Amino acid sequence: MSSRSFRSVFMVASCAGAALGCYLVSLRVASERAQLEDVETRIVLAQRDMRVLQTEIGTRGRLSQLERWNAGAFALSAPAADQFLKGSFELARLAQPEHKVDFQAPVVLASAPAPEPAKPLAREPQADESGAATSVAPNALLHQASLKTETREVPARSVVALPQTTARSTDKPANAAKPALKESVEKPGLAASHPAAKKPTPKQAAATPRPSPKKSVDKPAVASSMPVTKPVRIAKVDPLAPLPARHSGNSKDFHAER
Amino acid sequence: MNAPSPALVAPRPERLRLVGQRRQLLAVMHQRLMFGMLVYAGIVALIALRILYLAAFGDHAGRKEGLTELIPERGDIVDRNGDPLARTIDAWTIAIHPNKVIGDKLTLAQRLAELMPEQSAEQYFAMLRSGKTFFYLRRRASPTLVEAVNAIGEPGLAIEREPDRLYPQTALAAHVLGYTDIDGHGVAGMERAFDKELSDAATRGAPLTLSIDSRVQQALEHELSAAMAKFSAIGAAGVVMDVHTGEVLAMTSLPEINPNMPGASPPEARFNRATQGVYELGSTFKPFTVAMAMESGVVKSFGQQYNCPQVLPAYGHLVHDTHPFGRICTVAEIMEESSNIGTAQIADQLGRERQKYWLGKMGFLGPVPIELRERGRALTPGSRWGPFETMTVGFGQGIAVAPLQLAMGYATLFNGGVYHPPTLLKVGTGHPLPPGKRVFSEDTSYRMRALLRLVVMKGTGKKADAPGYRVGGKTGTAQKLINGRYSQTINITSFAGVFPMDDPRYVIVAMLDEPKATPDTFGFTTAGWNVAPVVSGTISRIAPMLGVQPDMNREPDMSQVLPFVHDAKQDAKKD
Repeated sequence: MSSRSFRSVFMVASCAGAALGCYLVSLRVASERAQLEDVETRIVLAQRDMRVLQTEIGTRGRLSQLERWNAGAFALSAPAADQFLKGSFELARLAQPEHKVDFQAPVVLASAPAPEPAKPLAREPQADESGAATSVAPNALLHQASLKTETREVPARSVVALPQTTARSTDKPANAAKPALKESVEKPGLAASHPAAKKPTPKQAAATPRPSPKKSVDKPAVASSMPVTKPVRIAKVDPLAPLPARHSGNSKDFHAER
Repeated sequence: MNAPSPALVAPRPERLRLVGQRRQLLAVMHQRLMFGMLVYAGIVALIALRILYLAAFGDHAGRKEGLTELIPERGDIVDRNGDPLARTIDAWTIAIHPNKVIGDKLTLAQRLAELMPEQSAEQYFAMLRSGKTFFYLRRRASPTLVEAVNAIGEPGLAIEREPDRLYPQTALAAHVLGYTDIDGHGVAGMERAFDKELSDAATRGAPLTLSIDSRVQQALEHELSAAMAKFSAIGAAGVVMDVHTGEVLAMTSLPEINPNMPGASPPEARFNRATQGVYELGSTFKPFTVAMAMESGVVKSFGQQYNCPQVLPAYGHLVHDTHPFGRICTVAEIMEESSNIGTAQIADQLGRERQKYWLGKMGFLGPVPIELRERGRALTPGSRWGPFETMTVGFGQGIAVAPLQLAMGYATLFNGGVYHPPTLLKVGTGHPLPPGKRVFSEDTSYRMRALLRLVVMKGTGKKADAPGYRVGGKTGTAQKLINGRYSQTINITSFAGVFPMDDPRYVIVAMLDEPKATPDTFGFTTAGWNVAPVVSGTISRIAPMLGVQPDMNREPDMSQVLPFVHDAKQDAKKD
């Protein structure tokens, strides 16, 4: 029995083996494909579920239902034309802090003399920010308001006027009422005065050195040239004195501090 | 080894005896054997090859056909933003096979009547004893009901799922969408018009994208139905259309139907007033007359003057005005105050032939050009179209058109003068914009802007103004033809508006059928009082969604008309 006689056997065996191998490969491919199809089927089923859920949500949240809630329950309406902004600048403008009218702020009459505006401008803003202006402010308030807004300002004036600055006399006529905003813009000194006015006592103590600037109108003048303004005030003090002293407490405090 | 070698066979003595015969026999047997083996091997090989082929390329057991792709039973319909307007879902169906019922039929009938009270226990019992094989008890049953019915445990009850058409937005755009019958075939609206595409397996995989914008549609429907209720109108219709492409963004007809239950709504509600109904829309036609006159050279300037007496006798009839001028007035004033007398004279100068020519060019003399099958056809004086009819057509009486046609006319007039047929399919890659057809010159289109803006700023359409959106438009109040006579009290009011007027982009048409007067309107039933506010309300809602920026400082060029408007009238009123 030579190997030759087995040749045919080997041939058949190798053929069978090759065929089996091929078959196994194809079987493997088929099973992979089956798995893939399983995944695809699951995807489709998931898509179908999503569709069902989307449909249900869409049906429950249909526009007519939303309309009923919006119009009925929430009373919403379409935005008006002026509620639309054209760009970032308009939006930024909305964020600008609103200027409140400060009733305690000194009011400057148009006729009031505003001496040496340039220098005070620089100083006053600083004072405002720091809060140093506070000590000065109360005084200023009192004096200026006296003419038109008697209550708050008057008492303070009387008190303040005596010790500190007659110079405010100029201010008093000027300080009519509320134009604090405008004043602040025009004259930096005024701006400084506002904060001071609001929180008179504590600030004053801290900012004693700056009393003169506080008086809004005068401030520019005060900072640079205190002496000049003071004399003017003295003259005005007298007319103010008779007014009622509601804020007398404050005024007293100021005095004490000073 | 299998094949016997001659060396092994030869020594046998028996075989040697009859060598000659046996040789022959053996040869024959070998041949036959070989043949049989070949056949056998061939069959085996064939089977093996087939198995190999199937293993490599064929379907295998457990393969799920058709689930590899999600193709609904019927195509979806979506709006221009892709929000579904119609979908096919699997709904539960409850049915019964009476002859398969095992339990006590009387008890079953009572139980069924408890669960589904639309029929009485007696009816259910009669059904069970009828001997018939099958009854539907409820289609599109709720899951809780299905659970309860299943809990009865009667084998004769069949609970199955079957595809059902669902309209998630219920009545929204119902007349555009239409509805399907019980077999899932469209019988109205786009369901009917595109039934083939929606049911064909090859095309239903992709949704049908409409030009409708569901938000715009909702706003229009809401405003219109509110006005309809307020003024006790018997019906209403509205259209919003893109002037540049002819796409219909919203189209509604009220009273509405719920396509989920089309049978539940009254038959008259199925009537689509926007496309099927044709109405004499009155003064909304006047801008066309003026535009035609401008194109024909009859009217050269809005300052052109006409004599407008209290009553105009013409061709054996009398033409009346609601607010007669009783003096000479300009074209601008005629439009501002919607004067029939003035418009009639312009139409008379224009003449019948030219009027017919222009109306034909604008698509007013034929059927409504839209995909829907529910479409009407304009009614014209026809053979009786004489000189007086020319006058009345000029101010919108004697010619009846569908609201959609009116919107189409305004779109043509204000998009630069080019006619695009209205379409309910979104213009895009699958549906390119067909080339337009020029009707009016750009100059006429441009000059008409100021005229219609004037009507809203100072004239009869003041209540249609939406601040910031530069609305221009024209009111129309037409007497309704009842039993062949024009009623003096029953009107159809309409408003056709365009916005923004300095660069027209959208046209809106709203119509109320038989509105009644209310204290708010001081007893008036004219368009300026009831339908104009609808337009204002709708525009202020939809314009931001459509990308129209409100701007209080922009206006069309009003210098064309303002110099020709007489202010003395207002002064007189004040006095």
